[in-house]
Amino acid sequence: MEKQLKTDFKKTIDSSDYSQKEIIVKEKCLNEFIRSGFPSKKNEDWKFLDINQAIKSKIDNLNYFNENLPNELDPKIYIDGLEHNKIIFINGRIEKIDFKYEESDKFEIKDQFDNRGLLNNVNSLVDLNLALATKYYKILVKEHYSFKKPLIIYNITTNKISSKNINIRLDFDLKSNSCLKIIDYSIDKSEKNFVNIVYNFSLEKDAIIKNYKLDTAENDNIKYSYNNFNLDTNSVAENFILSLGSSFIKNEINCNLNGKYSSAFVNGIFNLDNNKSHEIKTSINHLNENTKSYQLIKSVLGQNTKSAFQGKIFVKSNAQKTDGYQLSKAILLSDNAEFNAKPELEIYADDVKCSHGSASGSLNQDSIFYIMSRGLNYNEAKELLINGFLLDVVEKITDNEIKNLIKNIMGLKE
Amino acid sequence: MLKINNLNAKIENKSILNKFSLNINPGEVHAIMGPNGSGKSTLSNILSGKKGYEVTGDVVFDGSDLFKLETEERAHRGIFLAFQYPLEIPGVNTNIFLKTSLNAVRKARGEKELDAIEFLKLVKEKAKELKFDEEKLNRQLNVGFSGGEKKKNEILQMTILNPKLSILDETDSGLDIDALRIVADGVNSLRKENNSFLIITHYQRLLNYIKPDFVHVLMNGKIVKSGGAELAIELEKKGYESFS
Repeated sequence: MEKQLKTDFKKTIDSSDYSQKEIIVKEKCLNEFIRSGFPSKKNEDWKFLDINQAIKSKIDNLNYFNENLPNELDPKIYIDGLEHNKIIFINGRIEKIDFKYEESDKFEIKDQFDNRGLLNNVNSLVDLNLALATKYYKILVKEHYSFKKPLIIYNITTNKISSKNINIRLDFDLKSNSCLKIIDYSIDKSEKNFVNIVYNFSLEKDAIIKNYKLDTAENDNIKYSYNNFNLDTNSVAENFILSLGSSFIKNEINCNLNGKYSSAFVNGIFNLDNNKSHEIKTSINHLNENTKSYQLIKSVLGQNTKSAFQGKIFVKSNAQKTDGYQLSKAILLSDNAEFNAKPELEIYADDVKCSHGSASGSLNQDSIFYIMSRGLNYNEAKELLINGFLLDVVEKITDNEIKNLIKNIMGLKE
Repeated sequence: MLKINNLNAKIENKSILNKFSLNINPGEVHAIMGPNGSGKSTLSNILSGKKGYEVTGDVVFDGSDLFKLETEERAHRGIFLAFQYPLEIPGVNTNIFLKTSLNAVRKARGEKELDAIEFLKLVKEKAKELKFDEEKLNRQLNVGFSGGEKKKNEILQMTILNPKLSILDETDSGLDIDALRIVADGVNSLRKENNSFLIITHYQRLLNYIKPDFVHVLMNGKIVKSGGAELAIELEKKGYESFS
């Protein structure tokens, strides 16, 4: 692995126009990754989903150089019925940026390297991402500007790639009282790649970010996503994760509630079948007074599937009046489905309200009987119950247009 | 319409119904009264198709072997069970559930499915008759409903589906006197030549409002005495002990 990494790293450097400063940082990160490697279940954070094992068993000869392949954009893939701005990645490279609905002097897209807020030393996968992400874009939303339309980031992989590690990095800088809604929409036509995505969000006071991650296309890739948030006074980060399609995916969210009255929401759905393993891991750090967090994660698990929710709420000694809540629930549809919950509360302040809960079980047969006695067959009854179970999470989405889009994508009926 | 002949039911090797026989003809109202554990709820569960019972004997409904019909098929053919403990179904809108249920039944019967407007008209009319708070129709099914509201919701579903055989499993328990009267009115409004009822109850109270044609006393999984409406009054006076 080390040899391949070094060769591919050299190719990456040679084919780009990185500054010397940038190369030094990248080299450091690469060496850091070589030293620690892919995390395995020996690492507490990875004890439920062992990515090292998954990559070993699924991907032969993983390679890391992401050459510039010619790609054609197929407009048919765009999400219909919702006007939106676009960023399109194909096989890890930006193919298109289209912010046509916005006022051009209200935002900036920067691609200069900036060594502040790099997120190095977070974990080995973020290091790998930093070392190999081909381009480093930062989207800045100016103060008092709310994006008129959502931004959809299409992350497309095609069948031209295989056994490839793809690294994508985006930063978002929301100035005071600005607002941005992002939908991450992955479309996978590839198999057996490792996709590694890192976003870093920085919110000034009163800013609002809403991020909806939709992984719906059936695919055999391994994915990791790391979202970092720094929130200033009275800012809000809303996250929604729809975890369905990939065979292996871990979404990690780290949220620093730095400013008073800042708040974070993480809502997630796993609806899994066919040997899939998915995880959401969160660290919500309440670092100031009157901060709030809310997390609701629901799983529906079919044969040979596994989901995990590791949710940590940290409350610093000065973060009085913290309000932290998390709940995870799972319906297991098969005897060999597995749900893991690891809630963690670490509280150093004394005037706080924090709670957590977790529950799992099979479909309630009495409820099934009740519904069937009204004329619906077993599958319809089952679907209705699952539908209702998951709808609860989707209803937490605060943007109505996006909520309806997601209901449509999921085929949820009201 | 319903012919039960020598029905035996066991659950986990415990015998619950024992050579139970009963005939219900179209238009008849039968009341089954019995103490706790006599097998009343088991009978209603078996008739509407709940799994988990070991069953022998013959049950013929409208000419068909009932045990060959799936739970939902029994609903399509016109069997309705008003549950003793209606289930809460989170995330499922009451109105939409009622519509889905009605259309599933109509479709199976080869009738035209109702569109949203036709359905709304029907459900509003029926809800009004039952003094069922219309606002509740937009809530999640039975979630946060009081005991009485849940029971009324059962009767609402019953009147919407207009079944041939309605089984009311202790629908009167937990109802105050006003709700009891409303529920009884709902049942009486469905009493027609072809609609039959099987009313399962502990007490004679409900039978003051719904006059049964026959009353049966169920003890230890078997009918020990049958009679007319007067039997219920006798029971109320003497208690079940005198029949054992």
